[in-house]
Amino acid sequence: MILFLVIFALFLLMLLGAPLFIVISGLTLCLLFSGQIDSSAMIIEMHRMATTPILVAIPLFTFAGYLLSESGAPKRLIRLSNAILGWLPGGVSMIALLTCAVFTALTGATGLTIIAMGGILFPAMLKGKYPESFSLGLLTTSGTLGLLFPPSLPLIIYAIVAKVRIDELFLGGILPGILLILLLALFCFNKAIAVKVPRTGFNVPEVFRAVKDSIWELPLPVVVLGGIYGGYFVVSEAAAITAAYVLVVEVFIYRDIKWRDLPRLMKESMVLVGGILIILGAALGLTNYLIDAELPMRTLDFLKAHIASPFLFLIMLNFFLLAVGCIMGMFPALTVVVPLITPVAQAYGIHPVHLGIIFLANLEIGASIPPLGINLFISSIRFNKPILSLYFASLPFIGILLIGLAIITYLPWLSLAFLK
Amino acid sequence: MMDRWERIDEVIGRMEQALLVTLLSALILVAFSQIILRNFFSTGIAWGDALVRCLVLWTGFIGATIAAREGKHICIDVFSQWLSPKGKKFAAIIIDVFSFLICCFLTYAALKFIHNEFQMKGIAFLGIPSWVSEIILPLTFSLMAFRYFFYFLKGVLMVNQREREK
Repeated sequence: MILFLVIFALFLLMLLGAPLFIVISGLTLCLLFSGQIDSSAMIIEMHRMATTPILVAIPLFTFAGYLLSESGAPKRLIRLSNAILGWLPGGVSMIALLTCAVFTALTGATGLTIIAMGGILFPAMLKGKYPESFSLGLLTTSGTLGLLFPPSLPLIIYAIVAKVRIDELFLGGILPGILLILLLALFCFNKAIAVKVPRTGFNVPEVFRAVKDSIWELPLPVVVLGGIYGGYFVVSEAAAITAAYVLVVEVFIYRDIKWRDLPRLMKESMVLVGGILIILGAALGLTNYLIDAELPMRTLDFLKAHIASPFLFLIMLNFFLLAVGCIMGMFPALTVVVPLITPVAQAYGIHPVHLGIIFLANLEIGASIPPLGINLFISSIRFNKPILSLYFASLPFIGILLIGLAIITYLPWLSLAFLK
Repeated sequence: MMDRWERIDEVIGRMEQALLVTLLSALILVAFSQIILRNFFSTGIAWGDALVRCLVLWTGFIGATIAAREGKHICIDVFSQWLSPKGKKFAAIIIDVFSFLICCFLTYAALKFIHNEFQMKGIAFLGIPSWVSEIILPLTFSLMAFRYFFYFLKGVLMVNQREREK
């Protein structure tokens, strides 16, 4: 009875805006206390998690991402893709899709993309005669597009929490990620023809100039992905190379970032890392307790009694995860929900890598779903538009992404094709 | 009285930032040189990986205390947009005092953890005992407890002042 009151009070505090790690820690401490387990058990979990070898990748990739978003890289990336794809019908919107996806994959932090790219892409789309609502919807939903591509931060965190091999998860995300982008690109293509967006010609010298302009950043995806898939180095090493390389290129070669800006960028990126790390630590303490208390097994028994087919289970999972992604946000959802769901899903015979991709695709779309999806709020602030207009603007895009989600969920082949 | 606290908070904040910049730079440097050494000279620093992991622990947790200072911890903010300015202040006071309490418990738990590690006499790297590299855990939680208590006091005093002015 007291426990229920405590949980209710914690829930209220969480909705009032208490830091999530405080709420989770509070709950864990309560449970440990009522189970007469020493509270340092939670700290042991936290410490074990914070010193996992793969975790090294998180601060390094995040710092590199902050450097890139602050530099002229977004501008150069947009210029290059404009030179290559600008002549297509719907070219500008496809550029927006592609560059957002690449950028989110590299920086991994949702929200950074809308802030860094939106400032250039939104005016570019309006200038290209795209309707305002269409442009807003596209940029809002594209903010998390690309989370399925390596080396995005949520993929790494999922691998840590669910104990899946990270290189397999990286391979699994590629086709589903491409599918989502293709579906949206098709929609953009249709829209551009319907509203008769003017087209620009293909300009060969401009392609060369744009390539030359971004010649130092182009090797980055090749080195990171080629290095990981080619087996030359592991993910944490790729992160170290990325951080060192981006630092040298942006500070010494392009000189986009001044020396005196570095401490601020280091601080900003590590504030994000610290916020994620501490939730991850607190959540692991909680979920370990819940797993010891056999919560997943009891959930499974309950579900098995009512839901026989894996198909039905996946539908339930989709609705559940979309809601979680919309309400809780990416990182809290990953840390708290994943360890509790994975044993249940495995009992239904769902492949761990496929499950990971389902999780991330759901959370990625959930982040744009009204009323609480974080992307909507970031866009509202970034483009200075009322939140309600963003709700309507993003609806058609969400509809298309949901179709993609259904395909990803019920066609495991997409996620597993590269594994065997 | 509050001014002095404010200054202490600021000095600690600046020290944290300096430490954070140093440690993150070291992290990038050590992690990168390990790769160079391993691939081109087929050697490596034996304690390098342990040092890197320790640096990640420290940068992450220092980042977390700075997040507490700047109010940037991840939270689910659903209700606050419908609260009046007065209600918002009231909610902030409750949240701060609650966060303070939890951080106190966490500090206590972390100190117990350090105590156990001290008795186990484990070595992190280069003869440095494990508990030294782990001391950042109680440090982080106690500092966050201090901060939340300070913000709680500030909130209460501000409300009081407002009442008196009326």
